[in-house]
Amino acid sequence: MMQVKPWDFMVKYTPQREWIEGHGILVAFAMFFGGVSGGLYLASLFFGNLTGMVIAWALAALAGLVDMAHLSKRMRFWRMMLKPGSSWISRGFILIFLFLGAAGIQILITWLAPGNAWEILFKVVAGVLAFGVAIYSGFAIGIVGAIKLWNSGLVPILYVVSGLAGGLAVVMLVSLNQDAASLVTISNYLLAALVIDAIFVATYFWSATYSSVTARDSAVRVMKGKIAPAFWIGVVVLGLIIPIALVAPFSLSQSASTVAFGIAAVGAIIGGIMLRYVILKGGMYSPLLPDE
Amino acid sequence: MRWGMAIELKRCIGCYACVLACKAEHFLPPNIFWNRVLIGEKGKYPAVTKLIYSVRCNHCADPACVKACPTGATHQREDGIVVVDEDKCVGCRYCMVACPYQARSFYEDGHGAQTEYYPGQGLTEHEKIGKTLYPHEPGTVQKCVFCKERIDAGLAQGLKPGVDRDASPACMNICPTKAIHFGDLDDPYSDINRLIKEKKGHPFHAEFDTQPSIYYID
Repeated sequence: MMQVKPWDFMVKYTPQREWIEGHGILVAFAMFFGGVSGGLYLASLFFGNLTGMVIAWALAALAGLVDMAHLSKRMRFWRMMLKPGSSWISRGFILIFLFLGAAGIQILITWLAPGNAWEILFKVVAGVLAFGVAIYSGFAIGIVGAIKLWNSGLVPILYVVSGLAGGLAVVMLVSLNQDAASLVTISNYLLAALVIDAIFVATYFWSATYSSVTARDSAVRVMKGKIAPAFWIGVVVLGLIIPIALVAPFSLSQSASTVAFGIAAVGAIIGGIMLRYVILKGGMYSPLLPDE
Repeated sequence: MRWGMAIELKRCIGCYACVLACKAEHFLPPNIFWNRVLIGEKGKYPAVTKLIYSVRCNHCADPACVKACPTGATHQREDGIVVVDEDKCVGCRYCMVACPYQARSFYEDGHGAQTEYYPGQGLTEHEKIGKTLYPHEPGTVQKCVFCKERIDAGLAQGLKPGVDRDASPACMNICPTKAIHFGDLDDPYSDINRLIKEKKGHPFHAEFDTQPSIYYID
């Protein structure tokens, strides 16, 4: 943890603490659960995986609960939905609630009376809401102009791509008992999502080094500072390199390894949560005193 | 009407009187500061300049915190003062994250937080009075309110904020070098507007694009 002496507060680069230290770590988990929930629901719709949809619903509920657990006044949680016109937290909370309703109805219809028009309607509505659930946390931090590392249009896209990769990893985990052809199909999509995720992670931190001095310092802190192990081991090695290396050899074959796919999926999920942690932890405020 | 402040940097001696006056005025708990003094330096020896900035919430005309707040607890009054309604705040701290000036504090009572100024010694008489006169809601976000209680009471008595002590912010009243000025930014004939115009006052970090109501005069 980067310690800032009281007399250096906002005189030197000051790390963001409210949303990562102590109770603040719950924000990283809420963002992760929300992102994976949205990605998983969309992936489950694509593969017609009902188990995945149920898990996506549960993860969205978990995202909302963890969001609430972060509040110091939990019984006032309903107030979080009162300012959707201006606050992304408000919009996100509403999206989660709407998604829980729409996806819940869709899951019940698919389970009890599949194949009717209502099912399609609720799949479309819940799908749109799932995309919202996956992307809102990216906007919530992407619009924070005070923290230059976060203040990027790439963050919402990165969060969606990462959510999709996490979602496909969960689909992979719940499909490990299926035949090799199905597994290879899922693994190909997971591979594509991970490669795109890797490109966006690299582009995001590379662009941060060019956007402002504060963003560059944050990016350097992520890559070379105390949180570097979380980035390099958690995000890059466990979350990207190992899953890609394990999945890629099977992409052109019709054979599958449940062990390799299982490890790859778990790695991708760990990488997703570490990415949120690293981005939140890397956020810094610019000093207020002029340096020249 | 839009209340604002002008701070003359050459007059500020970094005595922290504004910090202490604010603490006393609002009975602020330990480790909570609505007003801070930032001290640094720029340049290289022998051409070094000491920098002293008395900072607090800038009561921005376009505040990032108000947009961020999901509950409407943080809102702007008609006179431009940005306040937090403790009864509506849920403690999500998005406003704290969004403020580029980091002018907000989160008040925790218990959970390992220091609750007494003299740990283990019990509350002082001043702290006990504060719990009655100016209670703070634990688990909510706090910030400078431009001493709105003094302004509102002063206006009700026909006093003029920035001119009459009883209607002016405590930090302005206490300042021994009269570095802090207060007044109506919307009144083109107000003393503060004249001062900002004559001495070329500028908002603190205008690039943050929040239109602060506090101007600094070099």
